[in-house]
Amino acid sequence: MKEERVVPLLLVLHWKHGAGSPLPITPVNATCAIRHPCHNNLMNQIRSQLAQLNGSANALFILYYTAQGEPFPNNLDKLCGPNVTDFPPFHANGTEKAKLVELYRIVVYLGTSLGNITRDQKILNPSALSLHSKLNATADILRGLLSNVLCRLCSKYHVGHVDVTYGPDTSGKDVFQKKKLGCQLLGKYKETIAVLAQAF
Amino acid sequence: MALFVVFQTTFFLTLLSLRTYQSEVLAERLPLTPVSLKVSTNSIHQSLHLQWTVHNLPYHQELKMVFQIQISRIETSNVVWVGNYSTTVKWNQVLHWSWESELPLECATHFVRMKSVMDDASFPEPNFWSNWSSWEEVSVQDSLGRGILFVFPKDKLVEEGSNVTICYVSRNIQNNVSCYLEGKQIHGEQLDPHVTAFNLNSVPFIRNRGTNIYCEASQGNVSKGIEGIVLFVSKVLEEPKDFSCETQDFKTLHCTWDPGTDTALGWSKQPSQSYTLFESFSGEKKLCTHKNWCNWQITQDSQETYNFTLIAENYLRKRSVNILFNLTHRVYLMNPFSVNFENVNATNAIMTWKVHSMRNNFTYLCQIELHGEGKMMQYDVSVKVNGEYFLSELEPATEYMARVRCADASHFWKWSEWSGQNFTTLEAAPSEAPDVWRSVNSEPGNHTVTLFWKPLSKLHANGKILFYNVVVENLDKPSRSELRSIPAPANSTKLILDRCSYQICVTANNSVGASPASIIVISVDPENKEVEEERIAGTDGGFSLSWKPQPGDIIGYVVDWCDHPQDVLQWKNVGPNTTSTVISTDAFRPGVRYDFRIYGLSTKRIACLLEKKTGYSQELAPSDNPHVLVDMLTSHSFTLSWKDYSTESQPGFIQGYHVYLKSKARQCHPRFQKAVLSDGSECCKYKIDNPEEKALIVDNLKPESSYEFFVTPFTSAGEGPNATFTKVTTPDEHSSMLIHILLPMVFCVLLIMIVCYLKSQWIKETCYPDIPDPYKSSILSLIKFKENPHLTIMNVSDCIPDAIEVVSKPEGTKIQILGTRKSLTETELTKPNYLYLLPTEKNHSGPGPCICFENFTYNQAASDSGFCGHVPVSPKAPPSMLGLMTSPENVLKALEKNYMNSLGEVPAGETSLNYVSQLASPMSGDKDSLPTNPVEPPHCSEYKMQMAVPLRLALPRPTENSSLSSITLLDPGEHYR
Repeated sequence: MKEERVVPLLLVLHWKHGAGSPLPITPVNATCAIRHPCHNNLMNQIRSQLAQLNGSANALFILYYTAQGEPFPNNLDKLCGPNVTDFPPFHANGTEKAKLVELYRIVVYLGTSLGNITRDQKILNPSALSLHSKLNATADILRGLLSNVLCRLCSKYHVGHVDVTYGPDTSGKDVFQKKKLGCQLLGKYKETIAVLAQAF
Repeated sequence: MALFVVFQTTFFLTLLSLRTYQSEVLAERLPLTPVSLKVSTNSIHQSLHLQWTVHNLPYHQELKMVFQIQISRIETSNVVWVGNYSTTVKWNQVLHWSWESELPLECATHFVRMKSVMDDASFPEPNFWSNWSSWEEVSVQDSLGRGILFVFPKDKLVEEGSNVTICYVSRNIQNNVSCYLEGKQIHGEQLDPHVTAFNLNSVPFIRNRGTNIYCEASQGNVSKGIEGIVLFVSKVLEEPKDFSCETQDFKTLHCTWDPGTDTALGWSKQPSQSYTLFESFSGEKKLCTHKNWCNWQITQDSQETYNFTLIAENYLRKRSVNILFNLTHRVYLMNPFSVNFENVNATNAIMTWKVHSMRNNFTYLCQIELHGEGKMMQYDVSVKVNGEYFLSELEPATEYMARVRCADASHFWKWSEWSGQNFTTLEAAPSEAPDVWRSVNSEPGNHTVTLFWKPLSKLHANGKILFYNVVVENLDKPSRSELRSIPAPANSTKLILDRCSYQICVTANNSVGASPASIIVISVDPENKEVEEERIAGTDGGFSLSWKPQPGDIIGYVVDWCDHPQDVLQWKNVGPNTTSTVISTDAFRPGVRYDFRIYGLSTKRIACLLEKKTGYSQELAPSDNPHVLVDMLTSHSFTLSWKDYSTESQPGFIQGYHVYLKSKARQCHPRFQKAVLSDGSECCKYKIDNPEEKALIVDNLKPESSYEFFVTPFTSAGEGPNATFTKVTTPDEHSSMLIHILLPMVFCVLLIMIVCYLKSQWIKETCYPDIPDPYKSSILSLIKFKENPHLTIMNVSDCIPDAIEVVSKPEGTKIQILGTRKSLTETELTKPNYLYLLPTEKNHSGPGPCICFENFTYNQAASDSGFCGHVPVSPKAPPSMLGLMTSPENVLKALEKNYMNSLGEVPAGETSLNYVSQLASPMSGDKDSLPTNPVEPPHCSEYKMQMAVPLRLALPRPTENSSLSSITLLDPGEHYR
């Protein structure tokens, strides 16, 4: 187990809005160490967080595409379809360990993407306060979920290193592309979180 | 001189030769062709950036040149722009020039070439153009990357109302591409099979978050994708308005302006416009942090004149305004201070204030405003530092607000802010007599005069009215005047005056003094004139009254009336030459009757009633219907009457009544008209036009028919409220006849019965005497005739009293006494019981014998006044008591004990009633057995109704344990109380 390295507690610390830069390289011989003891009922907490996210995902999606204006609300399939190419995969029939690792990757991906979206929307739609609030709340739950998944992986399976990918950096895109990418990501999020909530 | 000429000649030759050389050199190197032309693109600004150099330029020499530039699009022959660019060119200089394309550069390949010509005055003509440089091609389509559809320009910032060209590049010409602006399709011009451009003219500002423009590529009905751009349209930057600067202290200039519309856009595309203040004399500039004001520090005391330029700027435009002024002409004084009032009395005061000193020898112009009593007065005054103004013609006891503001008198710029203070003038004596009126109630021997007065207006009161003085002076008898002080705010007082003329003076008093007196005279007989009341019609605005002018000396007229529902006397004074007026007040209510009295005031101040008028400001429909009585109901008619209905207390003048009649018959009776009620039903209607006619005979009716009627009054505003109809049924035609017959018959029968009753004794004796008179008997004649003609008939008076012997057989009988239920068999009954109803002859002391037979079914014996010897005895009473009860007192006592109805149950048995003949002799042995002395019989012979008593009924024996009392006998087992 000592071979399985890292971890991304640092990721949690560095996870800010717009974070798109790669994580610092983890020392190869880093051990799976957790500063605080994990909660006894971690899986229940994970399930609860997934259910919470699943419950609010559709409202977040609607708030988002409504705030972008036409053509978004009337062309969801064309503009907000879940066509996110590099989205981490998830296999619901895998072992718990495999599922937790995949969940970890997805949560990291979603966390960075949501950070970008939140940043963009605060600039573009400064008056859409309910959207901002919903985005922030979702990001908060994702952070908690990531922490719990990490705890579970580390404490039960001694997994200290997971290769992750981040959401696309939208800072160089034009405004329409930012809107579109955000909409696609939230569409994908809504779809994925439903599968995840079901799988755990 | 020669030397000078030589020098001059040499100079010119040298110059000429130099010029010739220069021309030759240039001629050798010309044309000056632009070379090394490079073209780059700036996608953000949609511009082509050109840079080039010019060959063949002389070393260290500057030449003015003109470059002609050609720009083609898509292909070189399609020149879209040609222009000249003039500049001074140095040797080896790299020249730069930019051109902004209205078509996004991504949508078309551009070609650029140029040529040049020298345009320098130092070189003579002819100058000629160089050759064209080779075409430089610029294309950015190759760098678009993957994708089937691209829309340009991205995130462009334009000004509202400008023209914008957008375009799309479609990779697949098979795709059908449609573009939309805010949901509306836009149509463009195809530049090549892949590119279409759209010219948007005068784009509107929609929102500061930008406008989505998108294109959708599709094949048939299958969408291949949507791409779009966000166009940021900014509002046009406005020129700042009302830009001005001023100083309050010669240290700081405060500049203000109206910024107009904020042009900030979302997505940080454009911040709010910035403002910069530039002063040209000092050359100083300041970036203002506020959007509508800026402070400028005055540093040089010597600078009197300032030239300010205010520059407003955003990403798209720059606007500026300029003002030039002398500092001393822009003095905005601070507001005055220490505002005070001195020597304030009833009508004037002195106002003082101070002004902030600016510079020496400054003269200020100050403006004073005085507000009071709803009026405003303005005064201007010139002051140095301390200001003072005498305020006159003020109203007494009035609160005023005085304020002052100042400005530079030499160069008026603007007034300072106001500084003010309130003050109140002192009181003065009331200036006008109160308006007084009276009402008089004449009673035998005196008048009750109620004086009313209206409070003085503030203008005339000149202070707070503390009391009213009423002075009553008898004009007929010289006597001392009576003074009454009535404290304010009372507005009336009551005086009781005898039958003399009185003069009454009323004055209003405040703390300073009394008002002029208001005089009114009460004559000996003030309200003696009978005046007929006239009806008038009011309007929404009030009542218009007019009256006949009065001959003689009239100093005015007074109209008075009462306000309802407060019942407060109101009056209005009218001048002597006026014979009409309009009484209008908000107090008039619809449906209320107002009575107006018009008085003429003589020179002696005596009021004389002239006319009376009454009316409603607005008549309403009657509030209630009369209570109708139905009289004289016959088979063919009845009478309706509503005598109690008051027409005076109605909310309008009652003009008459409507009588509605419903019947089964379709036809209305004569005088009635058909009418339709509010519920749609039909009925007959009769109209009574006289409000005092409060009865109606409804005739021509059918017998035994039902009719329904409803009576409602009406005013000019309509009828009374709806109510239910009252039903009347006419009687049968013969019933009245029967009544006519039956009534006399009944009367006759009654009469006969009364006569019979009165003469009952006579009839009884005549027709059916109780004791038949043997002399009158028919048998007598028969006996006389057949047997013994000498037979005589014994007179009743001749008989000796008799007794009835009741013999009971005790064997096997059982007598139960009511209450005790004690069986009488317990007592040995060995002797027969006798009830001695009458005394023996020995004891008889009365004038004659009397026989009394009790009817045992009749239970009134004890209560009868004729006491007949039998005694009611309580069942429990012992026999010894019997004697006591023979006296009337004891009888009454027994009655009180309610033993009369106490019955002993007597079983059916062998008890028998033996009738002792009136002729039989009394048994001597029985005398001893009488327990008490027999009651003395009355001097009458009385027979009560006899009847046969069944054998089973018997009187109980008077044993020790039983009592002789039962009068009414019942069946065994039945007990009644």
